[in-house]
Amino acid sequence: MIEQVLCLNTLLLDSAKEIFETMIFMDMLEGEDPNETIEGDAVLSSITFKGTMEGCLAICCEKKCAQVITMNMLGFDSVEGISDEDMCDAIGEVANMVMGSVKKRLHETCPNLELSIPLVVNGRQLKNNLGEGTKEASIKVKIEDEYPAELSLLYREKSN
Amino acid sequence: MAKTLMIIDDSATMRKIIMRTVRMSGLEFDKIEEAGNGAEALEKLGAEPLDIVLCDINMPEMNGTEFVRKARQMASCNATKIVMVSTESAQETIDGAMADGANGFICKPFTPENFQEKLTPFMN
Repeated sequence: MIEQVLCLNTLLLDSAKEIFETMIFMDMLEGEDPNETIEGDAVLSSITFKGTMEGCLAICCEKKCAQVITMNMLGFDSVEGISDEDMCDAIGEVANMVMGSVKKRLHETCPNLELSIPLVVNGRQLKNNLGEGTKEASIKVKIEDEYPAELSLLYREKSN
Repeated sequence: MAKTLMIIDDSATMRKIIMRTVRMSGLEFDKIEEAGNGAEALEKLGAEPLDIVLCDINMPEMNGTEFVRKARQMASCNATKIVMVSTESAQETIDGAMADGANGFICKPFTPENFQEKLTPFMN
């Protein structure tokens, strides 16, 4: 059982923090309110993986937050002029990089994970879901002490 | 002598980040081309060989691994230095890319110093 070997919530948070601090230049802290929800227009970026275990990593945040992340990644001064296409591309890349960091940290326990291309959706009340029989690690975070976001890792371990 | 560079990544955002980071590294290129996947890159390299290629691995249509193998079969890419830039950081992946013909590997997240270290030997 992977959760008996690793604290997945901590691993998820550490992985995301590494990417946000080094590639996006934004702070990320664990959220103080575990019941805080993401209201209004939201963006969910997910990437699936298969191999010694299979599942899906997702990042969900307000659209405004996604635009600010995109602004930072592109080196813009404001969110004006950022298209939905730019935003989806940037947020997809965030999920890709965070999953890469998770994969690196899981390597000893779960080697040979193969990643998909990220998928990004816009909407309201978005939720990462992988059907029956999945386990979930999820953590609420605050980006730049302003924007709530949720990181989640759904997974199934393969039986030997 | 001025060098030419190609950045291959399916994410336009990541191509911009790489371009910015390369500039921050202090390395100067006469020309920087972009491609969204390996197939597009091969087409461009067939028309005009470039000195250095920075290539992602996980891409649709033609991934970075397949790109390296095919580029190494092209006479026009004999002298091209290919450096993989990827979130993949397992030693087996790095060793595999080098065995396929890559000349270096930079893991994401990266810094300007990473590019300076890996690309400087190819600048002379």
